[in-house]
Amino acid sequence: MKQAKWFIHPVFIFILSTVALAISLFLYIYWYIGVSENLKSVIRRYQLDGNQFFEAQTWVVILSLSLLVGVIMLGILIIFIYNLKTLQLYRLQHTFINNFTHELKTPVTSLKIYLETFAKYQLPREEQLKYIGFMLQDTERLSGNINSILNLARIESRLHEGESTPVDLPETIRQFVIQNRHLFHDCDIQVAPPVAGPLICPLIVPLFEMLLMNILTNAMKYNASGKPRIDITFEQDRHALRIRFRDNGIGIAKEERKRIFSKFYQGWHDERVPVGGSGIGLYLVQQIARLHHGKVVADSEGDGKGAVFTLTLPAIAPK
Amino acid sequence: MKQTEQQRILIVEDDVHIAEGLKLNLTLQGYEAAIARSGTAGLKMWKEWNPQLIVLDIMLPGLDGWSVLRHIRLEEERLPILILSAKGAPDDRVKGFSFGVDDYLAKPFNLEEFLLRVQRLLTRASWSKNPERGGGSEETTESMEYRFGGNTIDWNTLTASCRQGTIQLTEQEAKLLKVFILNRGKPLSRKLLLEVGWGYSGVTSTRTVDNFIVRLRKYFEEDPQNPVYFRSLRSVGYLFDHP
Repeated sequence: MKQAKWFIHPVFIFILSTVALAISLFLYIYWYIGVSENLKSVIRRYQLDGNQFFEAQTWVVILSLSLLVGVIMLGILIIFIYNLKTLQLYRLQHTFINNFTHELKTPVTSLKIYLETFAKYQLPREEQLKYIGFMLQDTERLSGNINSILNLARIESRLHEGESTPVDLPETIRQFVIQNRHLFHDCDIQVAPPVAGPLICPLIVPLFEMLLMNILTNAMKYNASGKPRIDITFEQDRHALRIRFRDNGIGIAKEERKRIFSKFYQGWHDERVPVGGSGIGLYLVQQIARLHHGKVVADSEGDGKGAVFTLTLPAIAPK
Repeated sequence: MKQTEQQRILIVEDDVHIAEGLKLNLTLQGYEAAIARSGTAGLKMWKEWNPQLIVLDIMLPGLDGWSVLRHIRLEEERLPILILSAKGAPDDRVKGFSFGVDDYLAKPFNLEEFLLRVQRLLTRASWSKNPERGGGSEETTESMEYRFGGNTIDWNTLTASCRQGTIQLTEQEAKLLKVFILNRGKPLSRKLLLEVGWGYSGVTSTRTVDNFIVRLRKYFEEDPQNPVYFRSLRSVGYLFDHP
């Protein structure tokens, strides 16, 4: 966004109106006192009974004026803060559109290159297959991007996909990993067997799978080691059920740990990870956890030491 | 149309599929193509492999395409560079051309058009390859001398006559000076100076920049304690200007 001119800058306008208000309050009081002094002298000159006009009313007037001005100031302050928030959201949305455009254009560009190449040249079969594989991955990337934006809209408008059904949690995760093997082929995902037998938990399965997909693909994406590894463990006590996703990725800086869950927020990038991403993945994760009456927190032992995402769900009622 | 000697094209692109697709097509056209997956890798290959043309993406991990472009332009004005970016807005194109790019294509692009543009850029580059170097038409090198205050910098010999007499500038000092002169009157952050002047991404300590500024001030300022040309801007970086 272009820098606004200084005289229409919100901070300047805010200060100006506050000063104007303070001056006007001062002038009200100053003039009021002036006028009442004059009135008093008139009363004295004509020897009228002063008590029936005012007397002890001055402070009431000043108090109510000050109160009103205070209310107006508060109003301006609220509008000012609201305006700042809107600006912030506007900026976030702007970066989101930029990033998302990049995310959509990249697979389209790749598809276009290969289709035009195929139209132009007769390539040997093995080469064709290799590039067709690329194209299939690109269509998957595209549909993934489209789904995440559609899901965002759906979850925000609270149109849940189906009711929650009681399922065995570790088994659901295991099944999910097996079904999506092709996405995690170079990643070692270990689902630990829970200590106390099956954990039956009410889940909205399609949403829960979306949550898994986002956490697992993030763990793979923000990973610089040759062999990405994710350990999923379960922990249960009387109050809550905790599912931990521990990876061996690049970790999360301390000041980023809360922010990464904000809508459209994108972590800083360095050489080790590819650019792009929509900035909505972890926001979706948090929203889905909330729909399950739980929450997700991120933790990391530091740069390069991996990250742990802990999903906390309400305790399962003992049977 | 094809030359007997294979021409080398460097593709700086972080997306594997696009990079492979470009390489495939350039190879089929008879060029020799190589891929760099990040800005720093791109700069390294530019130095070592000495390509005749660079295809450059803007959104790269670490050092971005703008910094790569500006860094290369400090040393080589003539190397044809084509930007291939998802950012296709007029603002981005203008930015690209102002940093000295030769051509700009927005993604997704037409393959045939891309290949023809590459061919054209290489053809043009082969015309301007005359034996005597640096008799150029470029803005920064045309005078081959730059004056400010009582200082004169000779870009041919990399010498400067200043209050300390005539001194020999190191290559890095000269590069940093060029960055300042090209951005005269504009505040420059330490991070940007490091990225453009050295080709590092932001991880390296920005103290390096400060040390070089101290040296430049010692050479060119009347009073290095109270600089007038290389001024510090609190919490921003540095600003070079002169009347």
